[in-house]
Amino acid sequence: MIRRSLRRAALPLLALLLPLAAAQAQDDDHRGPPGHGGGDRHHHGDDHDGRRDDRRQDQHDATPPWTRDLFPSTYAPLPRADTLIVHATILDGEEHRIDDGELLLRDGKVAGIGHGLPREGARVIDAAGRWVTPGVIDVHSHDGTYVVPLTTIDDKSSDVSELSDPNAAGTWIESAINPQDPGLYRALASGVTTLQVLPGSDPIFGGRSVVLHPIPATTVQAMKVPGAPQGMKMACGENPKGNDAERGKGPTSREGEIAFIRDAFAKADRYRHEWGDYLDGGDHHHPPDDPTMDTLAAVLEGRIAVHMHCYRADEMAVMMDLAKDIGFRIAAFHHAVEGYKIAPMLAANHICAVVWSDWWGYKMEAADGIRENAAFLDAAGTCTMMHSDSPFLGQWLPIEAGKAAASGRRAGLSLPPEHVVAWLTRNPAQALGLADRMGTLAVGKDADVVIWSGDPFSVFTKADTVFVDGAVAYDRHDPRYQPRSDFEVGRLPAARP
Amino acid sequence: MKRLAALALLVAGVAARAETVAIVHARAWTMTAPQPVEDATIVMAGGHVVAVTPQGSPPPGARVIDAGGHVVTPGLVDAATQIGLVEVPTARDTDDRAARTGPLGPAFDTSYALNDNSVLIAVARADGVTRAMSFPEAAATAPFTGMGAVIRLRTSGSILERPRAAMFAAIGDGSQSQAGGSRAAQWTLLRNALAEARRFAAAPRGAGPRDQLLDRPDIEALQPVIAGTMPLAIRADRASDIREAIRLAGDLHIRVVLLGGAEAWSLAADLARVRIPVILDPQDDLPQTFDWLGARLENAALLAKAGVAIAFSVSGNTIYLSHDAGIAMREGAGLAVANGLPYAAALRAITATPAEIWGIAHAGTLAPGADADLVIWDGDPLEPASAASHVFVGGVEASLATRQIELRDRYAPQRANDPLPPGYR
Repeated sequence: MIRRSLRRAALPLLALLLPLAAAQAQDDDHRGPPGHGGGDRHHHGDDHDGRRDDRRQDQHDATPPWTRDLFPSTYAPLPRADTLIVHATILDGEEHRIDDGELLLRDGKVAGIGHGLPREGARVIDAAGRWVTPGVIDVHSHDGTYVVPLTTIDDKSSDVSELSDPNAAGTWIESAINPQDPGLYRALASGVTTLQVLPGSDPIFGGRSVVLHPIPATTVQAMKVPGAPQGMKMACGENPKGNDAERGKGPTSREGEIAFIRDAFAKADRYRHEWGDYLDGGDHHHPPDDPTMDTLAAVLEGRIAVHMHCYRADEMAVMMDLAKDIGFRIAAFHHAVEGYKIAPMLAANHICAVVWSDWWGYKMEAADGIRENAAFLDAAGTCTMMHSDSPFLGQWLPIEAGKAAASGRRAGLSLPPEHVVAWLTRNPAQALGLADRMGTLAVGKDADVVIWSGDPFSVFTKADTVFVDGAVAYDRHDPRYQPRSDFEVGRLPAARP
Repeated sequence: MKRLAALALLVAGVAARAETVAIVHARAWTMTAPQPVEDATIVMAGGHVVAVTPQGSPPPGARVIDAGGHVVTPGLVDAATQIGLVEVPTARDTDDRAARTGPLGPAFDTSYALNDNSVLIAVARADGVTRAMSFPEAAATAPFTGMGAVIRLRTSGSILERPRAAMFAAIGDGSQSQAGGSRAAQWTLLRNALAEARRFAAAPRGAGPRDQLLDRPDIEALQPVIAGTMPLAIRADRASDIREAIRLAGDLHIRVVLLGGAEAWSLAADLARVRIPVILDPQDDLPQTFDWLGARLENAALLAKAGVAIAFSVSGNTIYLSHDAGIAMREGAGLAVANGLPYAAALRAITATPAEIWGIAHAGTLAPGADADLVIWDGDPLEPASAASHVFVGGVEASLATRQIELRDRYAPQRANDPLPPGYR
């Protein structure tokens, strides 16, 4: 158990940022956000920009293989009705608290927020005494691959990470997601409306992430948030080197990890240029299609951002320099247990910090964890957020934020609920490159909304109603909206009285 | 110079005596009544609670602390942790929780390994934990994991309060491989060990017969269990194993404590009838393994309603168990309340009841004569966002400084523009 849990704890991530070309190619009505251009790419220039490649492809009837979406989204919203929530304490995710407020959800979008909104044609929910926030976004989940119940099969061959090589960049975690993981159902019932499933942190390059709505479905494609960028998971420090030492394959030191990363990206850069020459018509030899190189090429092109598992401050600083030198973008450091030691540096580099409230000490690189980490990062202007990494914590992310904020307040910082809620909603949306669609209750945003039984940061509070794209996906008071996974059906009659 | 000052503080701490202290204007949960005493005056002297009275007058000469209406509870009692036995779990040389190889089974005695200087102790104490059962993870003779010790998180000196306070065994899917791959073997080995211990008690000999599985140290370690003076804590989660534990207690007339008990709620009435207490994790609600398919957040509430004595031990992927024990126990208790457990019962499950389960006299309440282990909270103690503002152990106020607090102060945003690096602070 502990080993398993520690591995999970060590996974950090990849940040997703950029719009996937795949989304542009495949998704006709739900386009990803405008691209940021892939961070600092001064070594690569724009002559291999993906969009220009797309134009050249016409000559060859070919596209760079890394632009494809192998498993396109088939997500469709659940049945929905226009809804007006009234008399709620609303935290909109944009620093506002609206007391006795109203929120209108129409056609799956936020259509109004404030007071005195039109009621015509809408179902009215009286939320007196209750709180409303944007849906919780968990940027670091292993649901669907760390599938409960765990068995000895997982000990031998878990789907959390591909361990045959320290470079598993060619893997797509979505190709392993089991939608029947009860953890996904619990996340939904806990107010999580979007989550990113990341590969684990034992490989140095973990592979591509996927962004899902944790709604009941029989396929992962039906859960995929349309147009959401993929990320790539990378890992620093103890986990990869420990795993490599154990398996006798790959770098066994931190310095070896860095050299390994440089080598892999150098190969990927050559691969990208080979494809560029081919698509330019300069070279008629069809380059090989290499899944590992595809992912890294997409990272170099800025189509995919990196979610980087790192604990120590010095390692994060090394990774930031490395990212500049190679030309890839880190969306976020995940776990970032020592983030507080370099908070202004993270802010200056526009890299988000993905943290727990109080996990510390379970391995050497976690020895300096403090409970004010989130608050200190936030105070420096770093885009800060909570994460679960485990299905148990995925049920209590608001409590995590509440603990972390309270520690910050005791250290003298001002952290009102209307600000702290962004650690659960707006900031993770930013890290995922989805801030234009979700994470706040601004008019026009996706109607991913939670009605809480009370102050969402209290241990005594529960998610009452969870809306995804305006549809009720879970309701604590209505058994018709309390989905269960297939795994839980027909077992232990005594256990479900 | 700074180090010298720290040393002086340390010496002063060692020399600290239990002065007479009166806490006034407290909302005092004495755990001897179903409701708190409002506007209470709590008087401590000589390391003990003297009295808790509404609007009482502080004795002359007492140091007076104004609680300002905040809650005061007994020091928290962690029903099962591994504080003192582990520092960095992945660094095996800092981990004394288990003896997985070698001859020891029941005789594996964790009390010898307790590290009074563990940084985990100050963290737990600053979060309100003053006593705990520190229990072993594993031993080489299945299904036993060894003997746990009662610790007291004193501000100086040894944390060991009572060695060999309980025997531990683990049954089920996490540990069956050690017994050959089946829980049937685990139960057979457990019953056989207790039978061998009983034969030894009847006729102690210099050497055991050749058909005996246990050797003499293990047999001797089990004597208090069969004599009924040492509880046998059985880690089990599946309902069938819990039923088997109930049967074992009845057959052998020994004191059994259930640890884990993810599906215990389904046998609540049986557990209440035979008075087997359950130490559970209120956060266990996922079907984490096949032994936990019935895990649910209402476990604590259903057991308490049936009359089962419950106490909490919160694992949090094992990270909370020892590294965040105090905050996690309170979060767990709060979640239990959110899922139907009465508030006072939740507070009992982290104070009085674990003290009763492990036979820790004078702990877990603020009854007159109880040890003066108590906490003033800055908010609702069952909200994990709240914190302790004062912690007393044996009437001595403990510093709330931890290694984490020192790191916090080094790197506080207010110091971002200091000319010298944090290493000079």
